Amino acid sequence: MTWRHLMRGGLRQIWRYRLRSMLVICCAALGVAGAVTSVNYASGGREQVLTRIQQLGTNLLVINAEQSRSVGGRERTGTIVTTLVEADYLALRREVEGIARSSAMVSAGLRLKAGYLSKVAPVLGVEPDFFAIKSWALASGDFFHTEDVRRSARVVLLGWQVARDLYGEENPVGERLFINRVPFEVAGVLAERGQGLDVINEDQQVYVPLTTAMRRLLDVDHYRSILLELKDSRDMVPVAADVTALLRVRHRISAFRPDDFSVGSQQDLIDTQLAAASRLGFLVRWIGFSGLVVSGLGVLAIAWISVRDRTREIGTRRALGARREDVFFQFAFEASVLATIGAGSGLGAGWLASRLAASQAQLPFIFELQNALLALGMAVVLNFVFASWPAIRAARMDPIKALRHE
Amino acid sequence: MIEMQGISRIYTREDGTPVPALRDVSFSIGRGEFVTVRGASGSGKSSLLNIIGCLDTPTAGIYRLDGEDVSGYDDEQRSTIRCRKIGFVFQSFNLLPRTTAVENVEIPALYVGGRVDRDRALDILGRVGLAERAGHFVSELSGGEQQRVAIARALMNDAPLLLADEPTGNLDSAAGESIMRLLADLHREGRTIVLVTHDDSVAAWAQRELLIRDGVIASDRQLPPLHGRAASVAAGA
Repeated sequence: MTWRHLMRGGLRQIWRYRLRSMLVICCAALGVAGAVTSVNYASGGREQVLTRIQQLGTNLLVINAEQSRSVGGRERTGTIVTTLVEADYLALRREVEGIARSSAMVSAGLRLKAGYLSKVAPVLGVEPDFFAIKSWALASGDFFHTEDVRRSARVVLLGWQVARDLYGEENPVGERLFINRVPFEVAGVLAERGQGLDVINEDQQVYVPLTTAMRRLLDVDHYRSILLELKDSRDMVPVAADVTALLRVRHRISAFRPDDFSVGSQQDLIDTQLAAASRLGFLVRWIGFSGLVVSGLGVLAIAWISVRDRTREIGTRRALGARREDVFFQFAFEASVLATIGAGSGLGAGWLASRLAASQAQLPFIFELQNALLALGMAVVLNFVFASWPAIRAARMDPIKALRHE
Repeated sequence: MIEMQGISRIYTREDGTPVPALRDVSFSIGRGEFVTVRGASGSGKSSLLNIIGCLDTPTAGIYRLDGEDVSGYDDEQRSTIRCRKIGFVFQSFNLLPRTTAVENVEIPALYVGGRVDRDRALDILGRVGLAERAGHFVSELSGGEQQRVAIARALMNDAPLLLADEPTGNLDSAAGESIMRLLADLHREGRTIVLVTHDDSVAAWAQRELLIRDGVIASDRQLPPLHGRAASVAAGA
């Protein structure tokens, strides 16, 4: 049998048994689409985690002014600690090595008022480096600068959500905003971030220069916390130790007393999230692979039934002079054409489904081409193997028995 | 055309005991003969037919087809012989479903290699009186028409030997007779025909009758010429 006849005859058979052909195509397509979609979905999730980790900063230490003490036999962590002051901050910057950038911070929930609209939001007093450390971009307007901190300027940067709530679709840059009845000028709106891994939604906060918050809003001379960005994330542990030692000396804490501050990093959080993401990715890959195998088994089952159903045909063809290889190629060709069409359309369907799933779940849309091609190749090979088996059975059939088959 | 020398076919049961179906059968059929093979079921008739049709190989003995010793041929060689030398006609037609008449006729040509001659297939369909029905699907044809398509298919590669296994078994008597008439015409053109049947009136069309019983040839006799035709005309009338 020549290739041309094989192809023409095969395509004709596919058309003749179109219901069965559609089943094989759907089976193969679902396998590939499932594998592609689930893996892309997991990748989207992982990408989102990575983005959030980036936002969080992978080389940050946070010093919080807080003290644990025993209340009724239990450890309680209170926050009203007034001992973290500018002198500590300056000493830290002077004496601890390995710090790239830093920002002291104060915060409080205060009432904002813009025109007739009003809401309570966390107000953070920060230094200009804060935004650089957070690698946070502007949606509009401008950041505030060292000069603004120096003269306690009444300028404010709005989180994206706060800007939406108070100004709607309007551009608030240059508008007036009252914080606790103190008038501020909106300098800019920060880019949307979404909820971070630390469950703080930074879009719902507003940011003013550190000194402005301390003098004009809160009237305090201590910090709530200090954000330190390290030059090298591997120095996390020694720097944390240096900071702890220095602050204990400066705060004159004797050896058996607890710290009146905490030094923490987001490393645990990051590790947990990354591990979860990669476990999920692994699981999803397995599910995708299993889906492929299951769809291959579906192809096998249908091919098997097809060979059974067409036993008479096989016997007849053999009697009319078809060799074993002719019969094998006929069935293998039909099955592999169907499997290939199926896998190809599965790739397309997987792309669509990935897009859909990403937009539904508000994840970044990622199409892992390499993975998709792997799934496609695996599906084609798997389906070919699974379809070859019945084809071999067909070829090995005894023509005499096949002719008598009812 | 067919030359059998000491042909035996012994099947082996699952427990290993041998079951002889044909025992030391020898006969020959000349080119252009019209022979009917008869025998009760289990007589070894089917085994003989399978060997003649090169679907099976004898356990012992020599089978020459058209002067070629095919008894030791492997599966592929036998496929080639079937393709070029033998045309099969089955009791239940064995046409491919969901396929047109002309496509069925073309099937044997697929396995010769090279071009499939559609015109030739149409010609042959015309010969069996189905020129009009060439494009019809098999399911749209009557039983008699389907068997004609099957005969046309057997002629596609111009096989010198036609093997017809109960070709009228699934047909009413009128359709059966027209099929026999067609086979008789083909015989007159010089084709060798081996016909298996239970039906006396069908067997009567042949020139010669081989009777198989218990794996051996019980009788081998010439049938009177014209007898068959007269008998069936009488039966038909």
